[in-house]
Amino acid sequence: MHKLNRNNRDKLQQFVAITGASEKSALQALKASDWHLEAAFDVFYSQPHPRSNAADVRRLEELYNRYKDQYSDMILAEGISNLCNELEVEPQDIVTLVLSWHMNAATACEFSKQEFITGLQALGVDSIAKLREKLPFMRSELKDEQKFHDIYNFAFGWAKEKGQKSLALDTAIGMWQLLFAEREWPLVTHWCDFLQDRHNKAISKDTWAQLLEFSRMVDPVLSNYDAEGAWPYLIDEFVEYLYDKNVVEK
Amino acid sequence: ILSLQRVMKSIEFEQGWSVMETGVAKLSRILEELPEPPFLPEEYMNQYTTIYNMCIQKPPLDYSQQLYDKYSEVIATYNKDTVLPSLRNKFDEYMLKELVKRWGNNKVLVRWLSRFFDYLDRYYIPRRALPSLNVAGMKSFCDMVYQEVQSKAKDAVLALIHKEREGQQIDRALLKNVIDVYVGNGMGQMEKYEEDFESFFLEDTASYYSCKASKWIQGDSCPDYMLKSEECLKKEKERVSHYLHVATEPKLIEKVQNELLVVVAKRLIENENSGCRALLRDDKMGDLSRMYRLYHPILLGLDPVADLFKQHVTAEGNALIKQAADAATNQAASSGGVQVQDQVLIRKLIELHDKYMVYVEECFQQHSLFHKALKEAFEVFCNKPVAGASSAEILATYCDNILKKGGGTEKLRDEALEETLEKVVKLLVYISDKDLFAEFYRKKQARRLLFDRSGSEDLEKSILLKFKELLGGQFTSKMEGMVTDITLAKDNQISFEEYLSTNTNTKLGIDLTVTVLTTGFWPSYKTSDLNLPSEMVNCIEAFKAFYATKTKHRRLSWIYSLGTCHISGKFDQKTIELIVSTYQAAVLLLFNNTERLTYTEILEQLNLSHEDLVRLLHSLSCLKYKILTKEPMSRSISKTDTFEFNAKFTDKMRRIKVPLPPMDERKKVIEDVDKDRRYAIDAALVRIMKSRKVLGHQQLVSECVEHLSKMFKPDIKLIKKRIEDLISREYLERDSENPNNFKYLA
Repeated sequence: MHKLNRNNRDKLQQFVAITGASEKSALQALKASDWHLEAAFDVFYSQPHPRSNAADVRRLEELYNRYKDQYSDMILAEGISNLCNELEVEPQDIVTLVLSWHMNAATACEFSKQEFITGLQALGVDSIAKLREKLPFMRSELKDEQKFHDIYNFAFGWAKEKGQKSLALDTAIGMWQLLFAEREWPLVTHWCDFLQDRHNKAISKDTWAQLLEFSRMVDPVLSNYDAEGAWPYLIDEFVEYLYDKNVVEK
Repeated sequence: ILSLQRVMKSIEFEQGWSVMETGVAKLSRILEELPEPPFLPEEYMNQYTTIYNMCIQKPPLDYSQQLYDKYSEVIATYNKDTVLPSLRNKFDEYMLKELVKRWGNNKVLVRWLSRFFDYLDRYYIPRRALPSLNVAGMKSFCDMVYQEVQSKAKDAVLALIHKEREGQQIDRALLKNVIDVYVGNGMGQMEKYEEDFESFFLEDTASYYSCKASKWIQGDSCPDYMLKSEECLKKEKERVSHYLHVATEPKLIEKVQNELLVVVAKRLIENENSGCRALLRDDKMGDLSRMYRLYHPILLGLDPVADLFKQHVTAEGNALIKQAADAATNQAASSGGVQVQDQVLIRKLIELHDKYMVYVEECFQQHSLFHKALKEAFEVFCNKPVAGASSAEILATYCDNILKKGGGTEKLRDEALEETLEKVVKLLVYISDKDLFAEFYRKKQARRLLFDRSGSEDLEKSILLKFKELLGGQFTSKMEGMVTDITLAKDNQISFEEYLSTNTNTKLGIDLTVTVLTTGFWPSYKTSDLNLPSEMVNCIEAFKAFYATKTKHRRLSWIYSLGTCHISGKFDQKTIELIVSTYQAAVLLLFNNTERLTYTEILEQLNLSHEDLVRLLHSLSCLKYKILTKEPMSRSISKTDTFEFNAKFTDKMRRIKVPLPPMDERKKVIEDVDKDRRYAIDAALVRIMKSRKVLGHQQLVSECVEHLSKMFKPDIKLIKKRIEDLISREYLERDSENPNNFKYLA
């Protein structure tokens, strides 16, 4: 996630180990004190911060163990399904994406121990009940412009297959439909139709990211679309498709 | 006189003045041309001295001021009583004549009086900073006389000018003198001339020509109108030199041009019947030259002419293209026909270029606008395909036809050939897909060189030099390499033959010639797994051994598809030498061992692809020379056919070439060029971003196009795709703050 050098990474780990803080808070404190450990401690303890201490970490470990897979040190599909049941949400509910984002999970349908613990710490919860209470807050985060932007871009790496550079088309369409249900974009259906009709290939990271920009900046009748702009090729094709199908007047 | 002064008493004013009055009166009489003897020196001196004496007297007897006032009064009175009345009772030309006379007189009057009253100019006037005698005198005329008559005089002059314009003779000298009056009364400035005369003159001129223009443009043809305009401009220039002030010329010409040429420009130039289009169509070079001359001095005047020129040339070029395309579809049946039309097309394009280059040079005086128009016109139609072949291919074929044996080299003399090559290269400039041309040219050059079809080695080199001059060494390096390889191969062959003769244990039984090609210079060829006839296998091994003695660091790949074989065919009637390709030879040699062979058997024994074999068998059994008989005797090859050596075959010649029609290379060439273009675009993008570090999208695209423009015109969509590819390969990234900008990732 962050490009830290060896030295700083060590300091970060030390900090987390000593204070039991989340990586995020640890980073904040260390950055604020210019990577001087002692000073960082001061910063951290002087903050009115819901302190996670060693006890919290243990509780989170116990929680983790409830869902972890039998054979490997990860929470896999079954565990996630159980987790969702206990949270009383569907597995395909978008709130699971938000949760994964907080965990900075590498791939969909699996959480490592580190990811699980860090994520719950970031949310400031240490039990299922508390996590359940946090759900409305997490949903509301999607309404925040900047957070939605981060979650959207996070979703690409998370949803794609490990080791692949691009996102399979079906998965991409599913994700878009999910995401744009939270944030209305009138052209989303046409976009998905277009892709299935004309493209039929995986989606690159650049196209994914630029689509969000497109949905935010260009109005649905394309009056402010700049054909000479740096939009990805696929988006240019989409615009032509819209003209062709008379969805929009030229 | 000085001594007289000391002795004489002081002079009373009245006394002195009466002396002056005498002088003034005499002067008046002289000016009125009354019989009067001229001033004697004593009389002049007397006048001067009187003034002098009256001025040097001690106050209150220093009469300088009174004398100065009297001076002005004298002149004013003269103007009022004599000059003005004489002008008031005359009109038109007579009035002008009188004015000129009075103006001349005034100068004399002022000059003489100034001499008389000269002493005032020495001390009194400068000390009081008063206008000098001359100035005061001239000003008097100006205020009293000039002011009153100048307007009427102007009207009279304009009337005369109008007369002259309508063809009548007028007194030019008179007008020149009148103009001098206007200029002169400006007292060193041009204001009076400009305000009282010139501005009215220019306006009058404008409306005069406006009238003429409206009339002429209705009825006259464009050439006639232009002739009249040219004449008018000439006459107006003459007018200036005859009687107007030289400063008027540019203003006058501008007015005339405006009315005659600018206002009606569109109607004139675009006249349906006789305007620019028609003149171009009818090759009226003289009229076009006139049009150029007339519109050249006018700002942006040539733009519409250049535009019509461009349209005309474009239309002519397009017509040629269409002609060729139509001919191609009509003669679609006979393949030879299509080729001929292509060559005709190139020749006609060259002729078109020559013709209109003459226009640019002679009618349009090499003006850059017209060079540009010609270039842009050619760029339009020189890039149009004909019957599925791109212009790049057509031009490459044209070159091939000139350079191969039986082509131009035998028909035309050297200078003519050189000239033709020059012109071909000129056309290449207009073709945007130069890389495509290079690839077609290279393929055809390879065939010429390898099958000994080139007409002249000198010409091959000469055209490469011309390409190099125009497009740089990078364009020609591969082609030059190919020519060098052939030369080297000849030397190499000599070494090989020496090697063979000194190695007595290598008896080949066949004369073998090998040409070693440097990969990279030559087009890529497929190697094949052809099962060579046993006779040839030894030869290959021998050459391999020889080559190993020369160098250990190179690997040889054998391209049998490019080889040629001479085979003796022992037919019933007579033995004929057959010149065939190696592949064909391989097929034929099979029949030394067996009488009949099926398609499948041949295929298996030779290990060729279906595509290749069908072509080969077709060339040996279905075309002009049927070396093999085919069962059944159909026109095309099927996999169930059987073949037999045609012992009955004969021909009047002792040696024949059995051609193998080449495969259509067009698709492969286009594929190869497209692939190269993708690399070229990638390389250009990376090079640009590496040096600029951060760059906006539009600029990146336009610089990329610029970089590549010498070789081809890249498709913008393709560039976009390559940029995205480079992003996913992490050479570039979008600027997080402005997605329209790209950053280079080291």
